[in-house]
Amino acid sequence: MPEIVLDLLKFLFLGILYIFIARAVRVIALELKGTDAAPTPARAPAPQKRTKKKAPTKAVIVQGDKKGKTLNLDQELIIGRGDKAGLVLDDTYVSTVHARIFAKGDTYMLEDLGSTNGTYLNRQRVTSQIELQRGDQVKIGKTVLEMRR
Amino acid sequence: MIAQPTGIRNRELALLILALLLGSGALALVAVARDQRELGEAVPMMALLAVFYVAAHILMRRFAAQADPLMLPLAAVLNALGLAAIYRLSPEKLGPAQVTWTLVGVAFFVATVLLIRDYTVLARYKYILGFVGVGLLLLPLAPEIGETVNGARLWVDLGPLQFQPGELAKICLVIFFAAYLAERKELLAIASRRVAGLHFPDIKHFGPLLVMWGLSLCVMFFEKDLGSSLLFFSIFLVMLYVATARIAYLAIGTLLFVGGAYLGYQAFSHVQSRVQVWLDVFNPDYIQAEGYQLSQSLFALATGGLFGTGWGRGRPDLIPEAPTDFIFSVIGEELGLLGTAAVLVCFMLIVARGLRTALRTRDDFGQLLAAGLIAIFAIQTIIIIGGVTRALPLTGITLPFMSYGGSSLLSNFILIALLIRISHQTAAAPDPARTAEILIGGRS
Repeated sequence: MPEIVLDLLKFLFLGILYIFIARAVRVIALELKGTDAAPTPARAPAPQKRTKKKAPTKAVIVQGDKKGKTLNLDQELIIGRGDKAGLVLDDTYVSTVHARIFAKGDTYMLEDLGSTNGTYLNRQRVTSQIELQRGDQVKIGKTVLEMRR
Repeated sequence: MIAQPTGIRNRELALLILALLLGSGALALVAVARDQRELGEAVPMMALLAVFYVAAHILMRRFAAQADPLMLPLAAVLNALGLAAIYRLSPEKLGPAQVTWTLVGVAFFVATVLLIRDYTVLARYKYILGFVGVGLLLLPLAPEIGETVNGARLWVDLGPLQFQPGELAKICLVIFFAAYLAERKELLAIASRRVAGLHFPDIKHFGPLLVMWGLSLCVMFFEKDLGSSLLFFSIFLVMLYVATARIAYLAIGTLLFVGGAYLGYQAFSHVQSRVQVWLDVFNPDYIQAEGYQLSQSLFALATGGLFGTGWGRGRPDLIPEAPTDFIFSVIGEELGLLGTAAVLVCFMLIVARGLRTALRTRDDFGQLLAAGLIAIFAIQTIIIIGGVTRALPLTGITLPFMSYGGSSLLSNFILIALLIRISHQTAAAPDPARTAEILIGGRS
């Protein structure tokens, strides 16, 4: 076979090799784009209307390692990874002192204590003290607490 | 992140087909350039190889749908390039053998993906795997079955079956290290002293590091294998650092390594000659002797230039050990700088994907396992490519997926399968913080 054909085939081969690499890099680019376009509001339910004013009396763990555990809200409840917390969660996404639930008058309040990964009340991040109602779901790391009477 | 699993897998299939096309194209070009009839039998082998790879892909669709889409095609393209280079050098003997090993390797890949449904189970067998790893590592020292090839006692000869147990030992040991360090990382990270700006853990916590140092020195002194010795110690050091984030370990480890290297240099004349060759490769006193391998490798890379001579049109057969240690130089001669750069990019992409898997994994064991596995892969690649390009003193070690060798291929396919398993499991169970973020539409 003439040299020139072999040379052309050589360049063709190198070209396809680089097309392969370009496509591999494109897969990564697509992935990054996919993460940026994160919002999928279709699946997020609208925030509950906070009309019914019924205070809970206890919290039940409905999701997470300690699923099924019931906690009384009579005393201030500190949730965190550290030993001093009333509810200790062994989860790297939970801060040492993560959040607290405490009584204020007839109601119970939820407060985030400067956690790294946040506390979520009904899928909204808690930024200030907020009143808890029956049926509310509090998410801390892998754990979800539900407020019940 | 939210890409549909089928979308991920379709991208994988497209890349895999391109990789297999490249492999077939490389073999065809070798055949055309060398005018060899023997390559006729390479065609059914390549077809069989394609069937195996595609079968592996189909099984991943079913059993690891969310796994990383780049690892398998990247491994396939490196494997195909290596295969073509080996065929080009030895179409009768090593070429067909390497195809067979690749088929066995892909079968092991599939078996690993299918059998290890939950990688965390591996942590339970950590002590067994640790002992198996050390046993395999020291097996070539056993009388009768151990065998010395090219000065290094690395092989085990069991009659019909010869293999390098050190290749498999690496994976067993990384699983053991990951499980051990995941359990003890808090303890090992406690820093009680501050010396020269570094937080120093207690003396007793340096115990594991010293044990590993001793083991690597054993490998160096008794098996005379510098590459593996360096590899084992550096993997442990990397994993210890990943687990504890204490620079003190790296500092002490580096000192220990330098000490060990100095001991090796003093004790073995072949280490001295390697260093001498590295510093002055073209010295006429030994260019025909100790310096021959490395100078031929450099001549090959120089001959290749930017675009290479083309498949089958160079003389890479002049390099000793071309199919194993010097496969990278063969690529350099026939595909040139562009070819070697492409190979390097593929290696870097695999490493990047491995590190990404480690970062995304939530449990300590999975993180350390992924980091450790990809560290073996990366360090091994650096040691051998650095060696053949004279960036580092040469130590004989295989180039993952490309070099000729059954043990090496098998262990690398198992390694990639474990990483794919971890990446699938991580993606299939996303972490709560990220889920919450997506549900509420971004961090406020």
